[in-house]
Amino acid sequence: MPDSSPTAHRALKTKRCKLQDGIVLSCTVLRHPPARFGPRPRPVALIALEDGARVLAPLTQALPIGTHVRSRLRLSHITAEGLRIYDATYEPLVLSKNPVPDFPGYILALTGPSGVGKSTVSAVLMRMFAEYVERVPIVTTRERREGDDGEYRYVSKRVFTELQKEGKLIAMTHIPATAEERWYGYRASDLERIWKAGKLPVVITEMHLLQGLAERYGRRSILSFGLLPPGKSKRAMLSHLLHRLRLRGRETEEHIKDRLKNAEEDIAFFSRRKDLFDRILVNENVEHVIENLRQTVPGLSEARTEN
Amino acid sequence: MERDIFLIGGGQTKFGEWWGRSLRDLIEEAVEAAFKDAPCTALDIDLVVIANMLGEIGSHQAQLGSLASSLLPHRPPAVRVESACASGALALHTACAFLESGRAKTVLCIGAEKMTDASPDAIAEGLMGAADAEVDRPSGITFPGLFGLIAARYMHEYGLTRDDLSLVSAVHHSNACHNPFAQFHSTITPEAVSRSPLVSDPLRLLDCSPVTDGAAACILSTQMPSDLRLRASQVATDTLSLTQRATLTSFSATKDAMGKALTEAEISRSEIGVLETHDCFSIAAIINMEDLGFAEPGRGVEIYRALHRGKHAPFPVNLSGGLKGCGHPVAATGIKQLLDVGKALRKNDGAIGLAHNFGGAAATAAIHILERTHA
Repeated sequence: MPDSSPTAHRALKTKRCKLQDGIVLSCTVLRHPPARFGPRPRPVALIALEDGARVLAPLTQALPIGTHVRSRLRLSHITAEGLRIYDATYEPLVLSKNPVPDFPGYILALTGPSGVGKSTVSAVLMRMFAEYVERVPIVTTRERREGDDGEYRYVSKRVFTELQKEGKLIAMTHIPATAEERWYGYRASDLERIWKAGKLPVVITEMHLLQGLAERYGRRSILSFGLLPPGKSKRAMLSHLLHRLRLRGRETEEHIKDRLKNAEEDIAFFSRRKDLFDRILVNENVEHVIENLRQTVPGLSEARTEN
Repeated sequence: MERDIFLIGGGQTKFGEWWGRSLRDLIEEAVEAAFKDAPCTALDIDLVVIANMLGEIGSHQAQLGSLASSLLPHRPPAVRVESACASGALALHTACAFLESGRAKTVLCIGAEKMTDASPDAIAEGLMGAADAEVDRPSGITFPGLFGLIAARYMHEYGLTRDDLSLVSAVHHSNACHNPFAQFHSTITPEAVSRSPLVSDPLRLLDCSPVTDGAAACILSTQMPSDLRLRASQVATDTLSLTQRATLTSFSATKDAMGKALTEAEISRSEIGVLETHDCFSIAAIINMEDLGFAEPGRGVEIYRALHRGKHAPFPVNLSGGLKGCGHPVAATGIKQLLDVGKALRKNDGAIGLAHNFGGAAATAAIHILERTHA
């Protein structure tokens, strides 16, 4: 494709979408880049952006997989006609002093739309296998609500951004909501503490956080279970979720509306990213889900249960 | 398949850097060799399918259908097909469609590429046409770069070591020594691969298939039987850009094409006795072993470990030398692979062989299964 004015103009539309933070999925250094970029070796990476999209883009330096990066517009090259082409280039948020080990340990991930029963399953797990599993707290900017059972660490948006800039958050996501600004994330320190204690960290998660964890620690570290509501069609599943969200009575109608909108996307994600799940379970009955987890997750089948 | 399609003859040029020969010369030489091998004359051909990717960039030549057809006295109808490095297999697939429909009875398939007339930069830019021009190219990525990203991710996920990766090229070079048509006739050690200059981390020069001139041609017929019959011809596709894929460490087009080909041929994997696979970069060969179902994810290298120890486990792979040892004149490769599978079946008295060819970062994958009927 020539570097003509029309192509440069069309590319402007996509540039804005690239201007987000992200995580390096893979990185290479081109020893002989195309002539228009000059003779210097050129680091290029595949980057997972915050909104779930992926881009191929240059880096300011070669970076290990799992590094958090931020974007800025830089002069990419000058065409033969003298057109100055700017493009997103990514640089590390914080230079990681402790690169991610190849296999840090297992993480048990429960993913599913709001209202599917993730928290219930997790609470039962915590009660039955208290010596073996521990829930990873979620750092969030959302407001404390009645009915929250201690799974959240509430921070302001400013603190959240600071944690992000310092590279202390390993996966984060922004949940679109009309009611408030909601950011969620996991702290590396929480996971590392649980591993050090010899326990299996359990995360209740959603699609971007799950992708973030897989990208940071490698897919094989995640024992990943998807939870779906009962129902043969998407409409039946959503109706089941609506019923459950209203029944638990923790949220306003406006919040419920937001959650349902996101749930539709979550359900589609299950079929789009099957590779991110080891097993997809239909939560008709909590006991069945727990039994399934117990049979599949290493260590749980032999674990002593606490009643 | 709807009809019995036989491979009745084939031939190729020696692969290499042929500064004295043009694209037309290469096509002519391969066609002549194919007719010499086949029990038919040029007048029996009722369709020509020619595969080529870089004609306009490498030789300023389009209209390759007419060019190839004009080599035959009766100038039969001709079409050109292109799907980057899978162009050769796509020509075979297109020919099968014509033969199965009855529109043609005997088809001449040609794959040809002239890569050394243009500058290396122009060829590298041309090859990037196999990726997504609007999504991938602006980053400056090259094809070795794309496979460098794939290799880096694969090493991260499965713990593949540099020493393991180097076995692939060593095996292919060793095989190429026995192929008179191969570009390279020298063995290389895994250590030499690991010491060769970096091209795009972690891939080194000797992980990459070379720039090659060459052509291959074969004649497929529903009218004239031979001992080599096609049992399956399948093509599958994936997104052009790696950014739109769920994973970097597996190629879904290969898996899809393989599944469909086994169904069409009504055979199981265990019946395959010969394999020619697309090793454009050494990491691709390892991933192919897994996607074709001969190894579990992350364990494709075990096949190359066995091959390097001199064992044919589970069967011989790339006896021709593959793309690394034999050379990779882009569109000629798919047709050359089918010819090599046929040669290996005859030589080893085998029954069933498989040719696996892909284009770009496996955005198009094609599988052809060949059976030796008098084995």
